[in-house]
Amino acid sequence: MKTPLIGLLFLAHSLLSNEPLKKLENRSGDYRLNGGPMNHLLCEIFKDNFQHNVSLFRNEKLIANGIIVDSRGFLLTKASSSVGARFVKSDANETFPIRIRKRDEATDLALWKITSDQKWKVVDWASEPISMDLGTWVISVDGPEQKFNLGVISASSRPIGRQGGEMGILFEETNATSNGIEIVDVLPHTAGDRAGLQVMDRILKIDGNRVKSTNQINKILQAKDPGELLVLVILRRDKELIIRVTLGHRSVAFDLFNRNLLMSGPVSKRKDNFPFIIQHDLPLEERAMGGGLYSLDRSCLGLNIARIDRVTTYTLPAVVILPILKKWLAEIPSP
Amino acid sequence: MIKSKLFDIRTIYSTCLFCSLLVPLRLSSSEENRSNFPWQKAVPESTHDFSAIQAQIQLQLASVRKTVVSVVSEDGTGSGILVSEDGLILTAAHVIGKSDQTMKVIFEDGSEVEGLSLGGSEISDAGILKIIDDRKWEYTPMAMSHASKEGDWCFALGHPNGFDKDRGLVLRVGRILEKKEETLRTDCRLLGGDSGGPLLSMDGKVIGIHSRISQNSDDNFHTSIESFHSNWEYFLNENLHTLASLEEGGFLGILCEETADGLLILEVIKDSPAQRHGLCPGDLLKQFNGVDLDTKEKLTILVSSQVPGSRVIFDYLREGWEISVQITLGKRSVEQ
Repeated sequence: MKTPLIGLLFLAHSLLSNEPLKKLENRSGDYRLNGGPMNHLLCEIFKDNFQHNVSLFRNEKLIANGIIVDSRGFLLTKASSSVGARFVKSDANETFPIRIRKRDEATDLALWKITSDQKWKVVDWASEPISMDLGTWVISVDGPEQKFNLGVISASSRPIGRQGGEMGILFEETNATSNGIEIVDVLPHTAGDRAGLQVMDRILKIDGNRVKSTNQINKILQAKDPGELLVLVILRRDKELIIRVTLGHRSVAFDLFNRNLLMSGPVSKRKDNFPFIIQHDLPLEERAMGGGLYSLDRSCLGLNIARIDRVTTYTLPAVVILPILKKWLAEIPSP
Repeated sequence: MIKSKLFDIRTIYSTCLFCSLLVPLRLSSSEENRSNFPWQKAVPESTHDFSAIQAQIQLQLASVRKTVVSVVSEDGTGSGILVSEDGLILTAAHVIGKSDQTMKVIFEDGSEVEGLSLGGSEISDAGILKIIDDRKWEYTPMAMSHASKEGDWCFALGHPNGFDKDRGLVLRVGRILEKKEETLRTDCRLLGGDSGGPLLSMDGKVIGIHSRISQNSDDNFHTSIESFHSNWEYFLNENLHTLASLEEGGFLGILCEETADGLLILEVIKDSPAQRHGLCPGDLLKQFNGVDLDTKEKLTILVSSQVPGSRVIFDYLREGWEISVQITLGKRSVEQ
């Protein structure tokens, strides 16, 4: 386990304080891809095409977007973002309670039901095959005022591999004896730190099995998912202790050292292990996840599933979503 | 990489064809007619305009992407672009660090070659690297000086967060929000690792090199191609101008502005060498030791490359009269 060394050669632009930047914005803001005139144009093109678009709220807080996929009021969103959602706001700004119906770990999708008898407008999925070429225009909505955003497909569409669970601790290989594995570092704010692991602790057992090498620990972590619980028996100053660690995400554990993330604002907690994604550069907030990604012909290409950093968002394409959705809707009992 | 299909390949093909047919005709027609290209309108007017912009960028991307590289040095990773058949790569000064350093150059297909850093400038953040290999390389031409302007559409390429073969190059599209001396500001979103990557015009030429980002994700800064043109020989001769040399080197003591005819003096610092030798606001600097002055950065580099106390010759225009003056340069820390 090593901290990935990505040298970051960027300098924050310190010469410009906020004050002159604001002035410049007023002068040249009209050209921006997501400036006023462009937004006006997108509103013209897309007005009346977003009635299937809803935002999900927990208490009074907007936590995710969603798209209505069935006229009975079923909506699809990002599962891990929508946890604890209580109600949705429709395109017409009306509020309805919602209940979760299905959840899929592999894709991080969730199906919710809007509690209402009305017949809902349904999303128009793009027909296959869709263009996934770099430079293809894509559009999404974001924020309480549901502003249109324009961007492009920015990199190759691809599967995103699984990274396994993570404790955020470093071990010393040479001290791997029958007396457990010694912890040489605990990264701040990681799963191991929260569970109370300390430097010099020796890990004796994980989930009842004696551990004899760092390789063995790494294999255990690889096979687990973030959120899963590990029960560790450790040796601290000649005393055996039991410590429970709820595993974190590898990306989260190591992102703390990544300056790129510091420049990016809130990003999605789950950023790995997707069967296939489209990558784009739309400037969406984390709360816009679960919303649709649309092409210029107004059809829906997929669902925004993870905000990675300030230049990267992943979208699950319709081709991944539709088989799951079909299965789910078939399982819903008719009234 | 997953192959994908275009759902309306005919539209895009015909748009490309349309553009290429029109180019020769357009060159001879007037300025107003040029605005008929969708990317020359202040704001696109329809989805057709958007489609045409998309098709134009995708057309350029097909050839440009083969020339964009990831640059790995001891300090980290950045990006760069090949601009000559003999393997010159434009990148950022903060990517190469200093002259005569060996670095790894990775192409999008994963193939690797060795590069050697030449020169650059920490003022503009321009840097040049050369591939150590005698092959003939595919390259993307540099735009001429003053070819790009505020409002132009542009696209950015690079390897944010470093090289990733599955992901490949990352494309961003935006517009030039501001162009000032050696810097372009655009709303192309950038991240660490993009540094040194190219900003390209709609005709597929290099107009800038990614340099710095701001907290606001759609305000990012690029070294303008003008900095490379203005200091080309100096950079190629393995000179990397550092900010530290501003303190150590020669000092003149003027504030000026770039004009089409030379550098217009706006202010002369009190008790500076410039004032002692009679330079005045309104004077138009033309040459330094016989070398044409076209950018402020060039003047700064030339002056601070001299040892304090050196005697240099400035040619300037005052009220239409050509004047030549010998000036003994000072030292910044002493003068200020």
